[in-house]
Amino acid sequence: MTVLLLVLAVCATLLAGVVLAAVLDRALPELAGTMTRQRIETEAPDRMNRDLAPAFYLALAAEGLSVVPFAPGLALIDSPVGVVIWGACEALTIIVVFLHGWSPNAPFPLIGAYRYAAIGLPVMLPSMFVLIAAALPAESLSLVAIVDSQREIWNVLRQPLGLPLFLVVALALTLRGPMDYADAADIAGGTSAEDSGAGRTLWQVARLAMLVSVSAVAATVFLGGPLGPVLPGPVWLWLKTAVLMAVLIWLGNRVARTTPSRMLTILWVVLLPLSFADLIISGVLAL
Amino acid sequence: MTDLWVALLALFAVWTGWRVFRVDSMVRASFSLMLSFIAVGAIGVLLSAPYIGVATVFMMAVEMMVMAIFMVMFMMNPAGLNPMVMVHQHRLSIGAGVVAALSLGAAVLFSRPPDDAVRAEADVVAELGHELLGPSMLIFETAGVTLLATMVGAVILSSRQGRFGAADEGSRPPGLSDGGAPAGRQPEGGGGHHHHHHHGGHG
Repeated sequence: MTVLLLVLAVCATLLAGVVLAAVLDRALPELAGTMTRQRIETEAPDRMNRDLAPAFYLALAAEGLSVVPFAPGLALIDSPVGVVIWGACEALTIIVVFLHGWSPNAPFPLIGAYRYAAIGLPVMLPSMFVLIAAALPAESLSLVAIVDSQREIWNVLRQPLGLPLFLVVALALTLRGPMDYADAADIAGGTSAEDSGAGRTLWQVARLAMLVSVSAVAATVFLGGPLGPVLPGPVWLWLKTAVLMAVLIWLGNRVARTTPSRMLTILWVVLLPLSFADLIISGVLAL
Repeated sequence: MTDLWVALLALFAVWTGWRVFRVDSMVRASFSLMLSFIAVGAIGVLLSAPYIGVATVFMMAVEMMVMAIFMVMFMMNPAGLNPMVMVHQHRLSIGAGVVAALSLGAAVLFSRPPDDAVRAEADVVAELGHELLGPSMLIFETAGVTLLATMVGAVILSSRQGRFGAADEGSRPPGLSDGGAPAGRQPEGGGGHHHHHHHGGHG
């Protein structure tokens, strides 16, 4: 019974979150518009990967959300290694975006795919370090335990570097604003340049679903997830997730994107040492 | 039920592993291999080794992405989109494959794995952590430092900047036919870029 409720909660959160994100992004008319349009084929595409990439992106968003506790001690996948499962979702997202750009067999998507792989791989490193730092005070890799460890004080205060660094990761995973090296306008839409019809809608929906998922994980790891007074746990999680989604959309619209080579320098020389610092500070505090 | 899943996942791992040699592109081969490893990782999760199983998925995803990029980069087949044969040195590889299959099969048949089930309350992830950072620490730290040194060495070797100038100075791409003219675009007027006039000789 509880499992059924949690499955429902994950599906409902994704659905409502996608609608909210589409409204905030002002993307609803476009999503609906491309849905029924005819599909345009590229020459000699890799059909399997082209068709599966959006589905896998959506599946990874759902998988990521399923390790998030909706109430203290209550997650659909209550794994002792929940953080690592989320990490695997992040790593597979890079591959899905790469295959989405590789499969149409066309120049702009391919450029987007390689650019994204080059940026996405170094983004994984700060992500892992801030997540491990959050696991330190909980002495566990389970997201349920990480929520429990924030009863006194949220991780966003205990580890002030964590959330900002994770938001950079979130922008990269959702192909958004300053970290959108895959689907950016400067390469005519990148990996989705050749998308059309329902496949295009599905890819954009999956992108919004990943925004929901990554925001929920950030809310869980840094903002105490379902913890909060008066209101029930799920409501707190939804509120915090919605706030983070709005922040990410705002950042995506506000912050300019730099060249990939400069972003690589920023990632390796600035963000990676910052995540080391986050890990060291959290480690010393957790001792 | 677990047995059935393990068997299905093992078959999937073997099938995707076989696909690595049957597909005609480096990208497809890399990600077939990744699917094979994901199946192995899932078996790990089913066998009560959640950390090792999920970490396998996580690490193989990153590794195969890196591998796909490097394979495409080093193959004379840009982006891996042209059909190509994925196997070479047939006799040696068949021999190595048969020997490996026979010895691994023998190891499975003749070894006696423990059959005591994992206790339900056992904290396997914490126990693994104590093992890794306790008795096995030296092994893992040695492996870690070796890998790091290899990575630093690979970056230095593949870097274009070097103590004695650009690494690609005077290099020429191989010809499209045996002994033919170098492939790719020819530098105009024997010059190349304005800041290294001195290597005009690679036409």
